[in-house]
Amino acid sequence: MKEAEAIVYVIDDDRLVREGLQGLIRSVGLRVESFASAQDFLTAKRTDAPACMVLDVRMPGLSGLDLQVMLNDVDLQIPIIFITGHGDIPMSVRAMKEGAHEFLTKPVRGQDLLDAVQKAIASDRAQRKDRAELSEIRARFGSLTPREKEVLDLVVAGLLNKQIADELGTSELTVKTHRAHVMEKTHADSLAHLVRMSERLKTAVRK
Amino acid sequence: MQSTLAARSTTRTVSRYAAAIGSAAIALILSLALRVPFGNPFWFFFAIAVILTTWFCGRGPGWVAVGFSTLAVLYFFVRPYHRWSVNLRDLPFFVTFVLCQVVANWLISWRRETEDFLRRARDELEVRVGERTAELKSANDALVNRMEEQKRTEEDLQVSQANLARVARITTIGELTASIAHEVNQPLAAVVANADACVAWLSRENPDLGEARAAAERAAQGAARASEVIVRIRSMIDKATPEKALVRINQIMEETAALAEGQASRNNVSVILALAPDLMAVYGDSVQLQQVILNLIMNGIEAMTSVTDRPRQLVVRTQMEGPAHIRVSVQDSGIGVKPDVMPRLFEPFFTTRSKGMGMGLAISRSIIEAHGGRLWAESNGSDGAVFQLTLPIGDGSTR
Repeated sequence: MKEAEAIVYVIDDDRLVREGLQGLIRSVGLRVESFASAQDFLTAKRTDAPACMVLDVRMPGLSGLDLQVMLNDVDLQIPIIFITGHGDIPMSVRAMKEGAHEFLTKPVRGQDLLDAVQKAIASDRAQRKDRAELSEIRARFGSLTPREKEVLDLVVAGLLNKQIADELGTSELTVKTHRAHVMEKTHADSLAHLVRMSERLKTAVRK
Repeated sequence: MQSTLAARSTTRTVSRYAAAIGSAAIALILSLALRVPFGNPFWFFFAIAVILTTWFCGRGPGWVAVGFSTLAVLYFFVRPYHRWSVNLRDLPFFVTFVLCQVVANWLISWRRETEDFLRRARDELEVRVGERTAELKSANDALVNRMEEQKRTEEDLQVSQANLARVARITTIGELTASIAHEVNQPLAAVVANADACVAWLSRENPDLGEARAAAERAAQGAARASEVIVRIRSMIDKATPEKALVRINQIMEETAALAEGQASRNNVSVILALAPDLMAVYGDSVQLQQVILNLIMNGIEAMTSVTDRPRQLVVRTQMEGPAHIRVSVQDSGIGVKPDVMPRLFEPFFTTRSKGMGMGLAISRSIIEAHGGRLWAESNGSDGAVFQLTLPIGDGSTR
């Protein structure tokens, strides 16, 4: 699967700053979409691609921190690089707690910003890959019949075919058949692989 | 408990009536005994019995005594003797006797009850007076507490006022600094971002001159905006020129010393004002001059907080300095100024304190210099410091 081109969203109410940041990021070959306010960003159509956000903290209307909270609420995970005039400690703590990727103070040195952007995009790529894998696993596991799911749970719990047959009140042969289906449907290479996938699904659900 | 009380009261009643009968009986015996030698009936013994009984035992026993006496006289002392009847000759005597007894009983019991009533009233009055006295005392205590509280509040108020004057001064500077910083920082951010972008476009393998030019132009615009901000601030400062008028420095000294009084007394500092009576007025902004004086006084007080081996004294002096200037000096007995610190004392943001902004003396000096005067410090070694300022007098007008 070919990854789409990364996008950097620049959101700053000051036109000169916004265009400067946009030019700077574009000069290293990244695609940039810029917005004059958080509202503009929220109403715009977004492409499904690895991305990061360069966000001014202090803006009229929705502030950068407000936008961060809103995005968290709708579970839209884009790494955010905050830029602030004079970042006080409570503000930075709040932003970091909400999962900010980076916190830079104005005026930002070009190289610092570009480094932060590259790191944020790499992080988003990894996260997207992670999420894609997870949804793939979820789809595979979702295709199992109820009986196969029961067998899966017991297999993962470490029971032998004979024990599973006793537990479910069927023959060992039937269990073997179900088990083969499970391995096939989940694309598991080995028992260890199956256990890993199942664990990952469980931890993701728990989160 | 109640039954014992009732029993006791019954006993007392019985004994009172017994006393009534007893005293009348004694009167009868005496009368009978004295009748043999003297012949005449001594009926006044009965009168005495009735009077005593009524006086000491009350109206009821009195009536019993009256009844007993009447019967005794009727039987023993009026004719026919030893009969329950009276003949016509002795009737006036008998009626007079009975009337006398009745009147005596009535008068004495009336008198007695009046006295009782008065006594009860007096007792009650005493109790009430006691209660009212206690009430008054507690009201008085409350008042004393309230007065002390008010005194404390007033002291607190003075402290707050002094703090307010100080804080207002510092926050104005602080706010101004913060807003200047923000106003200038914004365009600077634009300049830096665009300059970096311009460099980046030029450093590519195939430099993009169009992009580089656009970025450079934006950088220039940002710089222009920064300089506009500076111009705006400058004009703001120009507008805020001091409101000058003839100022009586002695009056300012007194007001300022009063303002700092709370702070001084809390730190056990005595402020001594030595003001020259013939001081000429100066031409200046009284608020600004007061800020300078307050700053010097507060500094002096603060310099003495760690002094324990000598009195904490702040001497504030005004005097004429030649024909055209006045001189103000604020002398403390504090820790003094170290020689290496002395030259930097008036530098902005220089402070020896953990909590200071380091702007007080710098601003004070600029205010005094704007008034055409001088402000300087001298150290008395480790015995404190003197801050002195001179100001030119205003237009030859005195006071």
